Amino acid sequence: MNFWEYLGTRHEQLLMDAYQHASAVFQCMVLATVIGVLIGVAAYRSGWASGLATTGTATILTIPSLAMIGLLIPVVGLGVPPTVVALTLYGLLPIVRNCIVGLRGVDPSLVDAAKGIGMSRLARLVRVELPLAWPPILTGIRISTQMLMGIAAIAAYASGPGLGNEIFRGLGSLGSSNALNQVLAGTLGIIVLALLFDAAYVLIGRLTIPRGIRV
Amino acid sequence: MSTPKARDVAREETEGEEAEALDAEEVPAGPSRTRPPRVSWQQLTFLPALLVALLLVTWLWFQQAELDEISSNALSGGKVAKALVQHIELTVISTVFVLIIAIPLGVLLTRPAFRRATPVAMAFANMGQAAPAIGLLSLLVIWLGTGRLAALIGIIAYAVLPVLSNTIAGLKANDPTLLEAARGIGMSPFGVLTRVELPLAVPLILAGVRTALVLNVGTATLATFGGGGGLGTLITTGITNQRMPVLLLGSILTVALALLVDWLASLAEVLLRPRGLEVGP
Repeated sequence: MNFWEYLGTRHEQLLMDAYQHASAVFQCMVLATVIGVLIGVAAYRSGWASGLATTGTATILTIPSLAMIGLLIPVVGLGVPPTVVALTLYGLLPIVRNCIVGLRGVDPSLVDAAKGIGMSRLARLVRVELPLAWPPILTGIRISTQMLMGIAAIAAYASGPGLGNEIFRGLGSLGSSNALNQVLAGTLGIIVLALLFDAAYVLIGRLTIPRGIRV
Repeated sequence: MSTPKARDVAREETEGEEAEALDAEEVPAGPSRTRPPRVSWQQLTFLPALLVALLLVTWLWFQQAELDEISSNALSGGKVAKALVQHIELTVISTVFVLIIAIPLGVLLTRPAFRRATPVAMAFANMGQAAPAIGLLSLLVIWLGTGRLAALIGIIAYAVLPVLSNTIAGLKANDPTLLEAARGIGMSPFGVLTRVELPLAVPLILAGVRTALVLNVGTATLATFGGGGGLGTLITTGITNQRMPVLLLGSILTVALALLVDWLASLAEVLLRPRGLEVGP
Protein backbone atom coordinates (compact mmCIF):
# COMPACT_ATOMS: atom_id res chain seq x y z
CA MET A 1 0.00 0.00 0.00
CA ASN A 2 1.59 3.29 -0.96
CA PHE A 3 1.22 6.49 1.04
CA TRP A 4 -1.69 7.90 -1.00
CA GLU A 5 -3.67 4.69 -0.74
CA TYR A 6 -2.99 4.69 2.98
CA LEU A 7 -4.31 8.25 3.28
CA GLY A 8 -7.36 7.26 1.24
CA THR A 9 -8.31 4.28 3.37
CA ARG A 10 -7.52 5.84 6.76
CA HIS A 11 -8.60 9.40 6.18
CA GLU A 12 -11.36 9.27 8.78
CA GLN A 13 -9.04 8.16 11.55
CA LEU A 14 -6.38 10.64 10.41
CA LEU A 15 -8.79 13.56 10.27
CA MET A 16 -10.07 12.66 13.73
CA ASP A 17 -6.50 12.54 15.11
CA ALA A 18 -5.62 15.80 13.35
CA TYR A 19 -8.74 17.48 14.71
CA GLN A 20 -7.95 16.30 18.26
CA HIS A 21 -4.34 17.40 17.92
CA ALA A 22 -5.30 20.87 16.71
CA SER A 23 -8.05 21.19 19.27
CA ALA A 24 -5.79 20.17 22.19
CA VAL A 25 -3.09 22.62 21.10
CA PHE A 26 -5.60 25.40 20.48
CA GLN A 27 -7.37 25.04 23.82
CA CYS A 28 -4.12 24.82 25.75
CA MET A 29 -2.85 27.89 23.87
CA VAL A 30 -5.92 29.90 24.85
CA LEU A 31 -5.42 28.84 28.46
CA ALA A 32 -1.68 29.54 28.30
CA THR A 33 -2.24 32.97 26.72
CA VAL A 34 -4.71 34.05 29.40
CA ILE A 35 -2.53 32.81 32.27
CA GLY A 36 0.68 34.04 30.63
CA VAL A 37 -0.61 37.58 30.05
CA LEU A 38 -1.98 37.71 33.61
CA ILE A 39 1.42 36.66 35.00
CA GLY A 40 3.13 39.17 32.73
CA VAL A 41 0.84 42.00 33.81
CA ALA A 42 1.30 41.10 37.46
CA ALA A 43 5.09 40.93 37.21
CA TYR A 44 6.29 43.55 34.73
CA ARG A 45 6.28 46.57 37.03
CA SER A 46 8.70 45.14 39.55
CA GLY A 47 12.24 44.20 38.60
CA TRP A 48 12.59 41.15 40.82
CA ALA A 49 9.15 39.77 39.94
CA SER A 50 9.95 39.96 36.21
CA GLY A 51 13.31 38.36 36.90
CA LEU A 52 11.65 35.59 38.88
CA ALA A 53 8.97 35.04 36.23
CA THR A 54 11.46 34.87 33.35
CA THR A 55 13.99 32.68 35.23
CA GLY A 56 11.23 30.39 36.45
CA THR A 57 9.72 29.97 33.01
CA ALA A 58 13.14 29.49 31.39
CA THR A 59 13.91 26.76 33.92
CA ILE A 60 10.73 24.89 33.08
CA LEU A 61 11.62 25.21 29.40
CA THR A 62 14.88 23.30 29.92
CA ILE A 63 13.00 20.31 31.34
CA PRO A 64 12.57 17.67 28.62
CA SER A 65 8.90 17.18 27.79
CA LEU A 66 8.93 13.40 28.29
CA ALA A 67 10.31 13.90 31.82
CA MET A 68 7.68 16.56 32.53
CA ILE A 69 4.92 14.18 31.41
CA GLY A 70 6.53 11.45 33.50
CA LEU A 71 6.42 13.67 36.57
CA LEU A 72 2.78 14.58 35.92
CA ILE A 73 1.46 11.02 35.50
CA PRO A 74 1.72 10.06 39.22
CA VAL A 75 -0.11 13.29 40.09
CA VAL A 76 -2.90 13.52 37.49
CA GLY A 77 -2.94 10.07 35.87
CA LEU A 78 -2.75 9.08 32.21
CA GLY A 79 -4.58 10.46 29.19
CA VAL A 80 -5.87 13.98 28.66
CA PRO A 81 -4.96 15.57 32.06
CA PRO A 82 -1.14 15.28 31.80
CA THR A 83 -1.35 16.42 28.18
CA VAL A 84 -3.31 19.54 29.06
CA VAL A 85 -1.13 20.42 32.06
CA ALA A 86 2.14 19.85 30.18
CA LEU A 87 1.01 21.73 27.07
CA THR A 88 -0.28 24.68 29.09
CA LEU A 89 2.90 24.86 31.19
CA TYR A 90 5.23 24.82 28.18
CA GLY A 91 2.93 27.19 26.29
CA LEU A 92 3.16 29.75 29.10
CA LEU A 93 6.87 30.30 28.81
CA PRO A 94 7.38 32.28 25.61
CA ILE A 95 4.18 34.22 26.32
CA VAL A 96 5.20 35.34 29.81
CA ARG A 97 8.66 36.31 28.61
CA ASN A 98 7.45 38.24 25.58
CA CYS A 99 4.61 39.85 27.53
CA ILE A 100 7.06 41.21 30.12
CA VAL A 101 9.50 42.37 27.43
CA GLY A 102 6.65 43.99 25.50
CA LEU A 103 5.08 45.76 28.46
CA ARG A 104 8.46 47.01 29.70
CA GLY A 105 9.24 48.29 26.22
CA VAL A 106 6.22 50.60 26.12
CA ASP A 107 7.36 54.23 25.99
CA PRO A 108 6.77 55.66 29.51
CA SER A 109 5.85 59.05 28.05
CA LEU A 110 2.86 57.45 26.30
CA VAL A 111 1.66 55.95 29.57
CA ASP A 112 2.20 59.31 31.21
CA ALA A 113 0.17 61.02 28.51
CA ALA A 114 -2.65 58.52 29.04
CA LYS A 115 -2.50 59.29 32.76
CA GLY A 116 -2.57 62.99 31.96
CA ILE A 117 -5.80 62.77 29.99
CA GLY A 118 -7.40 61.08 32.99
CA MET A 119 -7.29 57.38 32.14
CA SER A 120 -7.57 55.01 35.07
CA ARG A 121 -4.89 52.38 35.77
CA LEU A 122 -7.02 49.65 34.17
CA ALA A 123 -7.83 51.78 31.12
CA ARG A 124 -4.14 52.60 30.65
CA LEU A 125 -3.29 48.90 30.77
CA VAL A 126 -6.08 47.73 28.48
CA ARG A 127 -6.18 50.60 26.00
CA VAL A 128 -2.56 51.75 25.87
CA GLU A 129 -0.02 49.31 27.23
CA LEU A 130 -1.41 45.94 26.13
CA PRO A 131 -2.18 47.04 22.54
CA LEU A 132 1.38 48.37 22.24
CA ALA A 133 2.81 45.17 23.70
CA TRP A 134 0.59 42.97 21.54
CA PRO A 135 3.04 42.28 18.64
CA PRO A 136 5.69 40.64 20.89
CA ILE A 137 2.95 38.76 22.76
CA LEU A 138 1.61 37.45 19.46
CA THR A 139 5.14 36.35 18.50
CA GLY A 140 5.29 34.50 21.83
CA ILE A 141 2.01 32.79 21.01
CA ARG A 142 3.36 31.71 17.63
CA ILE A 143 6.55 30.27 19.14
CA SER A 144 4.52 28.49 21.82
CA THR A 145 2.15 26.94 19.31
CA GLN A 146 4.95 25.58 17.19
CA MET A 147 6.59 24.04 20.25
CA LEU A 148 3.31 22.57 21.54
CA MET A 149 2.67 20.82 18.23
CA GLY A 150 5.73 18.64 18.83
CA ILE A 151 5.15 18.20 22.57
CA ALA A 152 1.55 17.10 21.95
CA ALA A 153 2.94 14.34 19.73
CA ILE A 154 5.07 13.06 22.62
CA ALA A 155 2.13 13.30 25.04
CA ALA A 156 0.40 10.62 22.95
CA TYR A 157 2.73 8.15 24.66
CA ALA A 158 0.92 8.87 27.92
CA SER A 159 -2.37 8.04 26.12
CA GLY A 160 -2.92 11.66 25.12
CA PRO A 161 -4.99 12.60 22.05
CA GLY A 162 -3.78 13.52 18.59
CA LEU A 163 -1.51 12.66 15.68
CA GLY A 164 1.25 11.40 17.98
CA ASN A 165 -0.79 8.21 18.27
CA GLU A 166 -0.27 7.66 14.56
CA ILE A 167 3.51 7.97 15.00
CA PHE A 168 3.57 5.62 17.99
CA ARG A 169 1.38 3.08 16.17
CA GLY A 170 3.97 3.10 13.39
CA LEU A 171 6.84 2.73 15.86
CA GLY A 172 4.98 -0.12 17.54
CA SER A 173 4.64 -2.05 14.30
CA LEU A 174 8.18 -1.55 12.96
CA GLY A 175 8.81 -3.80 9.99
CA SER A 176 5.16 -4.00 8.96
CA SER A 177 4.27 -2.50 5.62
CA ASN A 178 2.23 0.28 7.19
CA ALA A 179 4.80 1.51 9.71
CA LEU A 180 6.29 4.07 7.34
CA ASN A 181 2.85 5.26 6.20
CA GLN A 182 1.68 5.75 9.77
CA VAL A 183 4.78 7.64 10.90
CA LEU A 184 4.82 9.72 7.73
CA ALA A 185 1.13 10.57 8.01
CA GLY A 186 1.54 11.61 11.67
CA THR A 187 4.67 13.68 11.05
CA LEU A 188 3.45 15.42 7.91
CA GLY A 189 0.06 16.00 9.54
CA ILE A 190 1.73 17.83 12.42
CA ILE A 191 3.86 19.93 10.05
CA VAL A 192 0.76 20.89 8.04
CA LEU A 193 -1.12 21.80 11.21
CA ALA A 194 1.82 23.90 12.42
CA LEU A 195 1.96 25.78 9.12
CA LEU A 196 -1.81 26.33 9.14
CA PHE A 197 -1.66 27.73 12.67
CA ASP A 198 1.23 29.96 11.66
CA ALA A 199 -0.74 31.31 8.70
CA ALA A 200 -3.69 31.94 11.02
CA TYR A 201 -1.43 33.95 13.35
CA VAL A 202 -0.18 36.09 10.48
CA LEU A 203 -3.82 36.84 9.67
CA ILE A 204 -4.66 37.54 13.32
CA GLY A 205 -1.67 39.88 13.42
CA ARG A 206 -2.97 41.80 10.42
CA LEU A 207 -6.38 42.14 11.99
CA THR A 208 -5.42 42.94 15.57
CA ILE A 209 -2.16 44.87 15.59
CA PRO A 210 -3.09 48.56 15.87
CA ARG A 211 -2.61 50.44 12.63
CA GLY A 212 -0.30 53.01 14.20
CA ILE A 213 2.44 50.56 15.21
CA ARG A 214 2.40 48.31 12.17
CA VAL A 215 5.73 48.01 10.43
CA MET B 1 19.82 40.43 21.39
CA SER B 2 23.32 40.22 22.79
CA THR B 3 24.96 41.26 19.57
CA PRO B 4 24.14 44.97 19.42
CA LYS B 5 25.27 45.23 23.02
CA ALA B 6 28.42 43.35 22.18
CA ARG B 7 29.04 45.75 19.33
CA ASP B 8 28.84 48.81 21.54
CA VAL B 9 31.24 47.31 23.97
CA ALA B 10 33.61 46.23 21.25
CA ARG B 11 34.13 49.85 20.33
CA GLU B 12 35.26 50.59 23.85
CA GLU B 13 37.56 47.64 23.84
CA THR B 14 40.74 49.50 22.98
CA GLU B 15 40.14 52.17 25.59
CA GLY B 16 39.60 49.53 28.22
CA GLU B 17 42.83 47.79 27.33
CA GLU B 18 44.83 51.00 27.49
CA ALA B 19 43.40 51.80 30.87
CA GLU B 20 44.27 48.36 32.10
CA ALA B 21 47.83 48.66 30.86
CA LEU B 22 48.27 51.98 32.68
CA ASP B 23 46.84 50.50 35.85
CA ALA B 24 49.28 47.66 35.69
CA GLU B 25 52.21 50.04 35.60
CA GLU B 26 51.08 52.39 38.31
CA VAL B 27 49.40 50.10 40.83
CA PRO B 28 50.98 46.67 40.55
CA ALA B 29 48.33 44.06 41.31
CA GLY B 30 46.42 45.98 43.93
CA PRO B 31 43.64 43.77 45.21
CA SER B 32 41.18 46.67 45.20
CA ARG B 33 41.76 47.11 41.47
CA THR B 34 40.64 43.61 40.52
CA ARG B 35 37.51 43.38 38.44
CA PRO B 36 34.33 42.17 40.05
CA PRO B 37 33.84 38.43 39.58
CA ARG B 38 31.89 37.50 36.49
CA VAL B 39 29.70 35.06 38.36
CA SER B 40 28.03 35.84 41.65
CA TRP B 41 28.12 33.25 44.43
CA GLN B 42 24.34 32.88 44.22
CA GLN B 43 24.67 31.84 40.59
CA LEU B 44 27.35 29.35 41.58
CA THR B 45 25.58 27.74 44.49
CA PHE B 46 21.80 27.96 44.07
CA LEU B 47 21.19 25.39 41.37
CA PRO B 48 23.74 22.78 42.55
CA ALA B 49 22.26 23.03 46.05
CA LEU B 50 18.77 22.56 44.64
CA LEU B 51 19.85 19.55 42.60
CA VAL B 52 21.68 17.97 45.54
CA ALA B 53 18.56 18.41 47.68
CA LEU B 54 16.35 16.93 44.94
CA LEU B 55 18.58 13.90 44.44
CA LEU B 56 18.99 13.41 48.21
CA VAL B 57 15.22 13.38 48.73
CA THR B 58 14.82 10.92 45.86
CA TRP B 59 17.56 8.70 47.27
CA LEU B 60 16.07 8.75 50.78
CA TRP B 61 12.66 7.92 49.37
CA PHE B 62 14.07 4.96 47.47
CA GLN B 63 15.83 3.74 50.60
CA GLN B 64 12.52 3.18 52.34
CA ALA B 65 10.38 2.37 49.29
CA GLU B 66 9.31 -1.23 48.83
CA LEU B 67 9.84 -2.10 45.19
CA ASP B 68 8.04 -5.03 43.61
CA GLU B 69 9.77 -7.41 41.24
CA ILE B 70 9.11 -5.46 38.04
CA SER B 71 10.37 -2.20 39.48
CA SER B 72 13.48 -3.66 41.05
CA ASN B 73 14.20 -5.56 37.84
CA ALA B 74 14.02 -2.34 35.88
CA LEU B 75 16.35 -0.54 38.28
CA SER B 76 18.83 -3.20 39.41
CA GLY B 77 22.10 -4.38 37.91
CA GLY B 78 23.46 -0.93 37.11
CA LYS B 79 20.65 -0.22 34.65
CA VAL B 80 20.14 3.28 36.02
CA ALA B 81 23.82 4.17 35.76
CA LYS B 82 23.94 2.69 32.26
CA ALA B 83 20.94 4.75 31.15
CA LEU B 84 22.49 7.88 32.63
CA VAL B 85 25.84 7.28 30.92
CA GLN B 86 24.11 6.55 27.60
CA HIS B 87 22.11 9.74 27.94
CA ILE B 88 25.21 11.84 28.60
CA GLU B 89 27.02 10.19 25.68
CA LEU B 90 24.12 10.86 23.32
CA THR B 91 24.00 14.49 24.44
CA VAL B 92 27.74 15.15 24.18
CA ILE B 93 28.32 13.37 20.87
CA SER B 94 25.32 14.99 19.21
CA THR B 95 26.26 18.44 20.51
CA VAL B 96 29.80 18.14 19.12
CA PHE B 97 28.42 17.19 15.71
CA VAL B 98 25.79 19.93 15.78
CA LEU B 99 28.49 22.54 16.36
CA ILE B 100 30.82 21.07 13.75
CA ILE B 101 28.01 21.20 11.20
CA ALA B 102 26.09 24.33 12.08
CA ILE B 103 28.79 26.90 12.78
CA PRO B 104 30.92 26.44 9.62
CA LEU B 105 27.72 26.22 7.59
CA GLY B 106 26.55 29.49 9.15
CA VAL B 107 29.90 31.12 8.31
CA LEU B 108 29.72 29.79 4.76
CA LEU B 109 26.17 30.98 4.21
CA THR B 110 27.05 34.54 5.25
CA ARG B 111 29.99 34.82 2.79
CA PRO B 112 29.26 37.07 -0.21
CA ALA B 113 29.34 34.11 -2.63
CA PHE B 114 26.52 32.33 -0.82
CA ARG B 115 24.64 35.31 0.54
CA ARG B 116 21.78 34.73 -1.85
CA ALA B 117 21.20 31.30 -0.32
CA THR B 118 20.80 32.72 3.20
CA PRO B 119 17.06 33.54 3.09
CA VAL B 120 16.38 30.12 1.58
CA ALA B 121 18.35 28.43 4.37
CA MET B 122 16.57 30.52 7.00
CA ALA B 123 13.13 29.68 5.59
CA PHE B 124 14.11 26.02 5.49
CA ALA B 125 15.34 26.23 9.10
CA ASN B 126 12.05 27.76 10.23
CA MET B 127 10.05 25.12 8.39
CA GLY B 128 12.17 22.35 9.86
CA GLN B 129 11.42 23.56 13.36
CA ALA B 130 7.76 22.78 12.75
CA ALA B 131 8.60 19.10 12.33
CA PRO B 132 8.01 17.15 15.55
CA ALA B 133 11.18 15.59 16.98
CA ILE B 134 9.49 12.27 17.61
CA GLY B 135 8.28 12.04 13.99
CA LEU B 136 11.73 12.83 12.62
CA LEU B 137 13.29 10.22 14.90
CA SER B 138 10.71 7.59 13.96
CA LEU B 139 11.31 8.14 10.25
CA LEU B 140 15.05 7.71 10.78
CA VAL B 141 14.45 4.53 12.77
CA ILE B 142 12.39 3.10 9.92
CA TRP B 143 15.04 4.13 7.42
CA LEU B 144 18.19 3.11 9.34
CA GLY B 145 16.83 0.47 11.71
CA THR B 146 16.68 0.71 15.50
CA GLY B 147 19.77 1.59 17.43
CA ARG B 148 22.04 4.38 18.42
CA LEU B 149 22.89 5.68 14.97
CA ALA B 150 19.32 6.61 14.07
CA ALA B 151 18.84 8.28 17.44
CA LEU B 152 22.06 10.28 17.09
CA ILE B 153 21.25 11.45 13.57
CA GLY B 154 17.76 12.45 14.68
CA ILE B 155 19.07 14.43 17.65
CA ILE B 156 21.68 16.17 15.48
CA ALA B 157 19.24 16.98 12.67
CA TYR B 158 16.81 18.46 15.14
CA ALA B 159 19.36 20.80 16.77
CA VAL B 160 21.34 21.87 13.67
CA LEU B 161 18.65 24.22 12.41
CA PRO B 162 18.23 26.45 15.50
CA VAL B 163 22.01 26.74 15.98
CA LEU B 164 22.45 27.49 12.28
CA SER B 165 19.85 30.24 12.26
CA ASN B 166 21.40 31.73 15.44
CA THR B 167 24.85 31.77 13.85
CA ILE B 168 23.59 33.39 10.65
CA ALA B 169 21.59 35.98 12.57
CA GLY B 170 24.61 36.81 14.72
CA LEU B 171 27.13 37.12 11.92
CA LYS B 172 24.72 39.30 9.97
CA ALA B 173 24.22 41.56 12.98
CA ASN B 174 27.94 42.45 13.11
CA ASP B 175 28.43 46.15 12.56
CA PRO B 176 29.21 46.63 8.84
CA THR B 177 31.41 49.65 9.62
CA LEU B 178 33.73 47.43 11.67
CA LEU B 179 34.07 45.01 8.75
CA GLU B 180 34.59 47.94 6.40
CA ALA B 181 37.32 49.29 8.66
CA ALA B 182 39.01 45.89 8.81
CA ARG B 183 38.98 45.67 5.03
CA GLY B 184 40.16 49.27 4.83
CA ILE B 185 43.34 48.53 6.78
CA GLY B 186 44.11 45.81 4.27
CA MET B 187 42.93 42.65 5.96
CA SER B 188 42.23 39.68 3.74
CA PRO B 189 38.68 38.25 3.74
CA PHE B 190 40.02 35.36 5.82
CA GLY B 191 41.64 37.80 8.26
CA VAL B 192 38.40 39.75 8.57
CA LEU B 193 36.58 36.53 9.36
CA THR B 194 39.01 35.13 11.92
CA ARG B 195 40.18 38.34 13.58
CA VAL B 196 37.02 40.47 13.53
CA GLU B 197 33.82 38.61 12.72
CA LEU B 198 34.32 35.43 14.71
CA PRO B 199 35.63 37.11 17.90
CA LEU B 200 32.62 39.42 17.79
CA ALA B 201 30.37 36.40 17.33
CA VAL B 202 31.79 34.43 20.27
CA PRO B 203 28.92 35.22 22.67
CA LEU B 204 26.53 34.12 19.99
CA ILE B 205 28.36 30.88 19.32
CA LEU B 206 28.40 30.14 23.04
CA ALA B 207 24.65 30.77 23.13
CA GLY B 208 24.38 28.30 20.26
CA VAL B 209 26.30 25.71 22.30
CA ARG B 210 23.89 26.18 25.17
CA THR B 211 20.84 25.91 22.92
CA ALA B 212 22.21 22.74 21.34
CA LEU B 213 23.04 21.15 24.70
CA VAL B 214 19.64 21.86 26.22
CA LEU B 215 17.77 20.73 23.10
CA ASN B 216 19.85 17.58 22.86
CA VAL B 217 19.32 16.53 26.48
CA GLY B 218 15.61 16.75 25.72
CA THR B 219 15.66 14.98 22.38
CA ALA B 220 17.92 12.26 23.83
CA THR B 221 15.02 11.19 26.08
CA LEU B 222 13.24 10.20 22.87
CA ALA B 223 16.16 7.98 21.76
CA THR B 224 14.57 5.11 23.67
CA PHE B 225 11.73 4.96 21.11
CA GLY B 226 14.31 3.99 18.51
CA GLY B 227 16.24 1.61 20.74
CA GLY B 228 18.94 4.18 21.44
CA GLY B 229 18.88 3.87 25.23
CA GLY B 230 19.20 6.79 27.63
CA LEU B 231 17.12 7.94 30.57
CA GLY B 232 13.98 7.86 28.43
CA THR B 233 14.13 4.08 28.79
CA LEU B 234 13.33 4.34 32.49
CA ILE B 235 10.43 6.71 31.80
CA THR B 236 8.87 4.54 29.09
CA THR B 237 9.37 1.37 31.16
CA GLY B 238 7.63 3.10 34.04
CA ILE B 239 4.72 4.21 31.84
CA THR B 240 4.17 0.90 30.04
CA ASN B 241 4.45 -1.21 33.21
CA GLN B 242 2.65 1.37 35.33
CA ARG B 243 5.45 1.41 37.89
CA MET B 244 5.59 4.88 39.41
CA PRO B 245 8.99 4.48 41.15
CA VAL B 246 10.70 3.69 37.84
CA LEU B 247 8.85 6.50 36.08
CA LEU B 248 9.68 9.00 38.82
CA LEU B 249 13.34 8.05 39.04
CA GLY B 250 13.74 8.35 35.27
CA SER B 251 11.97 11.71 35.17
CA ILE B 252 13.82 13.17 38.15
CA LEU B 253 17.23 12.12 36.81
CA THR B 254 16.36 13.59 33.40
CA VAL B 255 15.23 16.87 34.95
CA ALA B 256 18.36 17.03 37.12
CA LEU B 257 20.61 16.34 34.14
CA ALA B 258 18.86 18.95 31.99
CA LEU B 259 19.11 21.62 34.67
CA LEU B 260 22.75 20.75 35.37
CA VAL B 261 23.69 20.92 31.69
CA ASP B 262 21.92 24.26 31.29
CA TRP B 263 23.69 25.60 34.38
CA LEU B 264 27.13 24.47 33.19
CA ALA B 265 26.47 25.97 29.76
CA SER B 266 25.33 29.25 31.28
CA LEU B 267 28.56 29.43 33.32
CA ALA B 268 30.60 28.69 30.21
CA GLU B 269 28.71 31.43 28.40
CA VAL B 270 29.80 33.97 30.99
CA LEU B 271 33.33 32.71 31.63
CA LEU B 272 34.46 32.10 28.05
CA ARG B 273 33.23 35.40 26.66
CA PRO B 274 36.18 37.57 25.58
CA ARG B 275 36.95 40.22 28.20
CA GLY B 276 36.72 42.89 25.56
CA LEU B 277 33.10 42.12 24.84
CA GLU B 278 32.10 42.36 28.45
CA VAL B 279 29.63 44.94 29.68
CA GLY B 280 31.79 46.27 32.49
CA PRO B 281 30.96 48.73 35.22
